[in-house]
Order: sequence, then C-alpha cells, then structure tokens
Amino acid sequence: MSNREKIMRHLNIVGQLQPALHQPQHAPTGDLIDNAHFRAYTRASHDVGGEADVPITWEEKEEEIWEHNTFVTCEVLAWRGVWNAEERRRRQNVDVGQTIYLGLPYYGRWLMTIALILVDKQHVKLTELIDKIEEVKQRAHKQDGLLYDAKGHDL
Amino acid sequence: MSSSHHVEKATNVGDPQCFKGEAPPAKFKVGDRVRIRNLPDIFYTRSQMYLREAEATVVKLVYESPPAEDEAWDNTDSPEWFYSLLFKQSDLWPDYPKKFEADTLETELSERWLEAL
Amino acid sequence: MSNSHDHDHKAAPMVDEVSDFEALEVAVRELCIEKGLFTQADHNEWTEYMHTLGPTPAARLVAKAWLDEDYKQLCIDDPVKASLEVGINWITSMPSNFGTPSDYCNPRILVDTPTLKHVVVCTLCSCYPRPILGQSPEWYRTPNYRRRMVRWPRQVLSEFGLQLPEDVEIRVADSNQKTRYVVMPVRPEGTDGWTEDQLAEIVTRDCLIGVAMPRADRKADDKRPVIPAIHPYGH
Repeated sequence: MSNREKIMRHLNIVGQLQPALHQPQHAPTGDLIDNAHFRAYTRASHDVGGEADVPITWEEKEEEIWEHNTFVTCEVLAWRGVWNAEERRRRQNVDVGQTIYLGLPYYGRWLMTIALILVDKQHVKLTELIDKIEEVKQRAHKQDGLLYDAKGHDL
Repeated sequence: MSSSHHVEKATNVGDPQCFKGEAPPAKFKVGDRVRIRNLPDIFYTRSQMYLREAEATVVKLVYESPPAEDEAWDNTDSPEWFYSLLFKQSDLWPDYPKKFEADTLETELSERWLEAL
Repeated sequence: MSNSHDHDHKAAPMVDEVSDFEALEVAVRELCIEKGLFTQADHNEWTEYMHTLGPTPAARLVAKAWLDEDYKQLCIDDPVKASLEVGINWITSMPSNFGTPSDYCNPRILVDTPTLKHVVVCTLCSCYPRPILGQSPEWYRTPNYRRRMVRWPRQVLSEFGLQLPEDVEIRVADSNQKTRYVVMPVRPEGTDGWTEDQLAEIVTRDCLIGVAMPRADRKADDKRPVIPAIHPYGH
C-alpha cells in the first residue's frame, strides 16, 4: 500500500468511528420512551428517503456466484408460489431489523430471508436447515473451501 | 404448499392487471389536491415517511392492487386504487433551495393514504 | 479485517473457510430442491432468462420514439405494447407467464423535455425495470443513493456529472410500488439523419435511469471503480 493509500485508508476508518450515545439502561421503562422515540425504534428500516448522508464514490460491482444464485432462488420461489415479492421485501427489508438492515450486505438479506421463509412456512425444520448448513460447510472443507467452480457451477 | 395469488390469478394476465375491476370506485381524480395521511407505520409500510402530512396533486390513476401492507402478508382481499402523486420539492424539504422552485417528485400511494384537501 | 475495498487489487480470498454466504446459499437451494419447492431445472431456466436481459431493448425503445412521434405516444399511452415492439413482453417473456415476480407488469416511460428532466430512485429497496433494462447497478441499491436522491437531486446528479439550469424542472420518480420507470431523455443535438441503431447506441443505461444525458459523442457510461467479487459470476 502506498503512503497516500495509507492516508486514504485512515480517512475511511476514522470516518467510521462514531460516538455512541448509550441509554442508561437497555429495555427501558415505558415512561422513558416518548412517542417520537417509539416511532423511531419501530420504524420500517427500509424507509430511508430524505435521511442525511455524505457524498461517496459511486461504484459498480462484480456479482458473486452466491449473489446471482440468491437472486434467482428468490424469483423462482415466487414463480413456484412459495411467496410473492412483497412478502419477500417485507421480511428482507423490514423484519430483519435496523442492525441487520444496515450491517449486512444487500444480497445477504435476500439470502437470510430465503432461509427464514423455508422455516416459517414449515417447508423445512430449523434443525434440518442447521444440519444442511453444517453438511455443506463440511463438504466445502474437503474441497479447499470451494463450493462453486470458476464457471459458477456447483462443485 | 401455499400458493401465492400471482400464480393463481396473474398467469397470462400480469400483475397488477389481474386486479383490474376489483377496487371500489376511485375516490380521487386527476388534478385533486390531497394530503398524505400519517397513519402508523408499524411493522410495514410502502408509504414513505418523508411524504407524510405533505400536500400533493393527483396526476394519474395508475392501477388497482391490494395495498402493499396487505400484500406483504399475501392478503389480496381488498384491492384499492393506486395514484401517482406529484409533490413540489419545496413542500417536502424546508431547506430546498429557492432557486430550484420548479423541482418536483413523483411517487405512488394507495388510496388509504390520501385525504382530500 | 479491513472494511474497505482496495480497488486496484483483487478481493482478498477467504482461504481458511468457506464464506457463510456461500454455504447458506447452497444449503437453502439444495433444501428447496429436496423439498420439491422448485427444481434445479427451474433455477437454470430463470438463470437463462436473466442472461437475456440488458439495457438494449430500452435503448431501442427510446431511439424508435425519437424517430416516430406515434410510437412515442404509444410509449406514453401503452408502455406494455410499446415494449412488445422492442421484443419485451412484460407478461410472458419470462418462464412464469405472469411477469417477473419482483418487477411486475406496469412499466412507465418518463418523457423528458427541454424543461423537464426525470431521474429514478427506489428509496425503499431498489426496484428497477429489469425486463427491459437488465440488472440494477450497485450504486442504485445503496442506502446512500436512496437517502439522498429524493432530497438533494441536484447535488447527487452533479456527482454523476450532470448539472442542469434552474429553469429545468428536475422530477425525481420514487418507484415505491408496482410501477417500473424508464427515462426517455431528450434527443441530443448533432444526431440529425441518424439511424435507429446509431441513436440506440448513445442511449446508455445511465441515461435510462436519468443520471446521465445522451450526447452524440457519448457511447458508454462513465467509468467507475468496480468492486471485485471473491468468486465472480460471469456467464
């Protein structure tokens, strides 16, 4: 990394250091939460229009294999009647809550939402999902950590 | 296996086309001035907070559909008319520069979100 | 682990263990297939459909409209029918025969004039007219774009290199419901006598979203940094 790159990296990191105002207690009593704060805590996380933000570098992105597959799985689940897109959006963009909404990648939420709908709609038991994830990870471990070939096909 | 309405109703017809004729008569017409109701946004809404309590002009009756708040639970019982609404940016944002007074914003809301001015 | 991208280099590969995202993706897809929710053939068929998508049909729609006033009016009055003429059927182009689940069947063409410039955003998620325009760009999906475009459109557009005079009305279209918007920009100067193909070539994806304006000498969108993928999908 060049010296100027190190400087830019420093600016990126300190830009992420934000002071956090902690409330005196978690799960406060009702008298401590006025209506404005009730509304804020129970807000729909996806409704971000008009919030302040800063100029950033607009970027394109190469799509990951898992991201492509996730998108296709979401559309095919709707095609085959398991859900409709609005159910997906509600779960994926609001039910996940504020922390996951801003903390996880865009397609990370699509993917988590697929997993949860399978369990919620009783297509899969959570124990089955857990076992399957473990099975896939063990399989990957035997394949140098890889699950796809360079062409995006499953290994 | 539950089967969502799209597969049943919308095949070869499309969505929102499949809800045509199912909503009660439209309450508003093009040119009407409306205010956006600040209903609770608990659990889900597709009516943006930045529009609430603002005034707008109806510019188009776009289609009939269940409101997103119901469709998000796969309930299609009560379609309503959806409207395209035009807002002046200076009505939405107190800090919108005066020299760009002409700027506008257009977005769609379903009938339940509108009240006549 | 760094939270930022170093765009001159490849993304750092995770050599120690498989990514949780990849493991979950494979797990849920295999479960969907095992439980009979869909087949691998279904998944492949939708992938093949996605491969057909891109901005060319929307570019051709604009070029045709520039050359034919009647077709331009059709774009306004019946965008589904207008889309058919550039090979896109919003209802049966895809395997479902009821449209794409996420994009619905209500396209709308937003016609720019010399005093009206449209730009599209979806503040709630990233709704985009995929059947006629292809997949959305990364920047369009960011909370940042979605927060700021509705409130500071001129500032954001200037970051995209577009500055418009104060007598031009900038209209932000927030696609929050079932309509999917495509911008029809104003035909630029210096294109007299051009064929439909020549005109379509300058109507790029960014012009169809509204963050750029076509010019006779502009055949590609501005180059931006590309975030690399660890295991990129390329077809």
